[in-house]
Amino acid sequence: MPLIGQLALALALILAAYSIVANVVGARRSIPTLLASARHAVWAYCAMVTAAVAALSVSLLRSDFSLEYVASYTSYSLPTFYKITALWGGQQGSLLLWTWLLSLFTAIAAFQNRRRNPEIAPYALATLAAVAIFFLGMLNFVTRPFDMLAAVARDGQDLNPLLQNYWMAIHPPSLYTGYVSASVPFAFATGALITGRLDDSWIRSTRRWAIFSWFFLTLGNLFGARWAYEVLGWGGYWAWDPVENAAFMPWLVMTAYLHSVMIQERKDMLKVWNLALIGMAFGLTLFGTFITRSGVISSVHSFTQSGLGPYFLTFLIVVVAAYAALLIWRLPKLRSPAEFESYLSREAAFLFNNLILVGIAFAVFWGTLFPVLSEAVRGVKITVGPPFFDKVNAPLALGLIFLMGFGPLIAWRRSSLDSLARTFASPAIFGLVTGACAFVAGLRQWYVLAALSLGAFVLGTIVVEFRRGVSARRHLVHDSAPAALVNLVAKNNRRYGGYIIHVGVVMAFVGIVASSFFRTEIKKSVHEGELFQVGPYSLQYLGIETTETPHVETSRARIEVRRDGKPIAMMLPAKLFFKRNQQPATAVAIRSTPAADLYVVLAGMDDQTGLVTFQIFLTPLVFWLWAGGLVMAFGTVIAMWPNVRERAAIAASLRAAAETPAVDEPLRRRA
Amino acid sequence: MARPNSGRRLARAVLLAALALALIVPIAVRAASTVTAQEVEEGLTCQCGCGLTVANCNHPNCEFSVPAREQIEAMLHRGMSGPQVIAFFRRKYGEKILSAPTTTGFNLLAWVMPFAALLGGGIFVAVAIGRWRAHPEIPAPAPESNAARSAGDDEMRRRLERDLREDF
Repeated sequence: MPLIGQLALALALILAAYSIVANVVGARRSIPTLLASARHAVWAYCAMVTAAVAALSVSLLRSDFSLEYVASYTSYSLPTFYKITALWGGQQGSLLLWTWLLSLFTAIAAFQNRRRNPEIAPYALATLAAVAIFFLGMLNFVTRPFDMLAAVARDGQDLNPLLQNYWMAIHPPSLYTGYVSASVPFAFATGALITGRLDDSWIRSTRRWAIFSWFFLTLGNLFGARWAYEVLGWGGYWAWDPVENAAFMPWLVMTAYLHSVMIQERKDMLKVWNLALIGMAFGLTLFGTFITRSGVISSVHSFTQSGLGPYFLTFLIVVVAAYAALLIWRLPKLRSPAEFESYLSREAAFLFNNLILVGIAFAVFWGTLFPVLSEAVRGVKITVGPPFFDKVNAPLALGLIFLMGFGPLIAWRRSSLDSLARTFASPAIFGLVTGACAFVAGLRQWYVLAALSLGAFVLGTIVVEFRRGVSARRHLVHDSAPAALVNLVAKNNRRYGGYIIHVGVVMAFVGIVASSFFRTEIKKSVHEGELFQVGPYSLQYLGIETTETPHVETSRARIEVRRDGKPIAMMLPAKLFFKRNQQPATAVAIRSTPAADLYVVLAGMDDQTGLVTFQIFLTPLVFWLWAGGLVMAFGTVIAMWPNVRERAAIAASLRAAAETPAVDEPLRRRA
Repeated sequence: MARPNSGRRLARAVLLAALALALIVPIAVRAASTVTAQEVEEGLTCQCGCGLTVANCNHPNCEFSVPAREQIEAMLHRGMSGPQVIAFFRRKYGEKILSAPTTTGFNLLAWVMPFAALLGGGIFVAVAIGRWRAHPEIPAPAPESNAARSAGDDEMRRRLERDLREDF
């Protein structure tokens, strides 16, 4: 198996290099057979990387401890499920997963574009293959997943206990999928810059890829937060760790991109900005990987740190410099007839939305790198932690939420103040009443009141927009109200999927604000049978049970939870001890309701006194963060769903592009 | 009637708001000087390697955060102020123990830059929109009478129907 895997990776590298040459030569000399051969090479290198993944997976499942990777990240007693997830539990495996996803997406893009985008696609595929060559080069020469040990190990060192959690099974693949799929729109943007096909055909062709990437970045961040919530045992879910920040920044920039491309599609403006945004998004995905691998900034995500930092940094600099050079080269051709009629227009609101999103991304970037800057300038190590990010981003988040309600309801081109007043009267009143109710209920924190008011305002605008849409649809085709609603969403899925995403964002925002401001924590040491009170709940500690498997020893406390005297739940927080790597871990117990989460950690046990210590968090509304994430995912699926009108628009855009000579037609002919 | 100055007024308002934001945030940062034990713990980074603050360290028996919390409680109980407690820990462990940069000297740059960048971006966007406004003399919709309001609703519906056809 190791030999097959290593051979497959070597062949993949050769095939990827061939596909670059064949794509570029085939495109410049217009040789269809060579372009077809290049596509076949893409599919072949995808098959080779798939074979390498299969080889490593089989080695992991068979506990082949002749392989260094298998011996480092698994053990005989590791459950089969985690033997599979160990594929991305270590450095080489996670790079292999990245490369595999990249090869899969490249193969899909090659298939999708076998008959369309004849000019841009070869350069886009060559760009994707160039990125793949970097990763394949690392896997072949620098950090090899199939390296053998001098002598077969008797047992492996086991997977880090923190990674033995089902959220870790889905968090890294989701995040990687988001990261890697961002390279497809980036590659098409690069292709557009190289060929001079600078209309919006590259945007329309990769729109679904961009949403797909955003979808998985959203899920990746959400799953990561959930993993932190369930595994780290501190009652929180986001600590502004550098690696968390590195995953958050591409999400912010991709969100800005998804909004600003609408202006280009609608008004043929902001071409440079959109190209810059997609370049930034891709650059930030590489930056995220650099942060994770390099250890340049201390992080809790130290599972995959290595000496790969310089390679990633060099690659990042080369990619950013090359892309910036292409963009600057094409600047004269990217000027478009810019027409803005008013500050009170949807396009202006989208621009300010972009400003805030990129502003937050910059603040996070700046805060993440500031310790490095401080050490370089002053020679003093400092920490930039949650208080900085919370204080800087909190006001920006309010601005963003406001624009989320304001932007979609105003007209393109311009709106009058009177029509604005009419449109926003009901949502504004709803927002103010919500804030007033919260004040009467006893809330005094200005930020919470503002967040609740703005959240209600945004929900109000969305309700108004749905109501108007249904009314307009009924006017157009005389549907019944429910049929009009369904057809409205089905036929305008991009728009209404977007509104559903906004509902999810508001839910998540309210959950984040409430859980940040009102989380309470108590620590209690009790004897068996003792009762104690946490908020509205009575908790009774009923004792500890210890179980043992060949892999892990578990001490599980039983706590009966009562409310108003009635038992409502049995909570089982536990302490785990992983035998192979001699490491303890915590398994928290969570009772989640829409009102609040009761979160219990078994903090310690004193065998002599019989006292058991629990750390308990009561976190209001945190449920809505996860629910909001699911609503965002649902809205994204709706927005991504193919519809006939969009296909027609893409076809028309591609036809128009084919009829228009590219900026570099002479360059191509010269070649 | 045309409102050629409305855009400029709005641009000014946006700039003023951004400027106010840039001023308010550092003030708000300084205002956080009256602190409780929880806030002191939030202001210090745990040195056990968890990457979290002393308040949030996830190791129940952490060798750093557990005694640090007890020490903070005791120091506050003895009448020391929050800043004094934080200064004590800073003297003992260095600046890296603070969970956020100070607001003096070079560190002030950490706080100012995000807002300065946003302000610069805001000015750029406002000026760009001002330049892009191709036809500032186009009359804005006239103030509507009550009778015209239902016509306005029709216009809104037409706009929505047009949007729906284009799915934006």
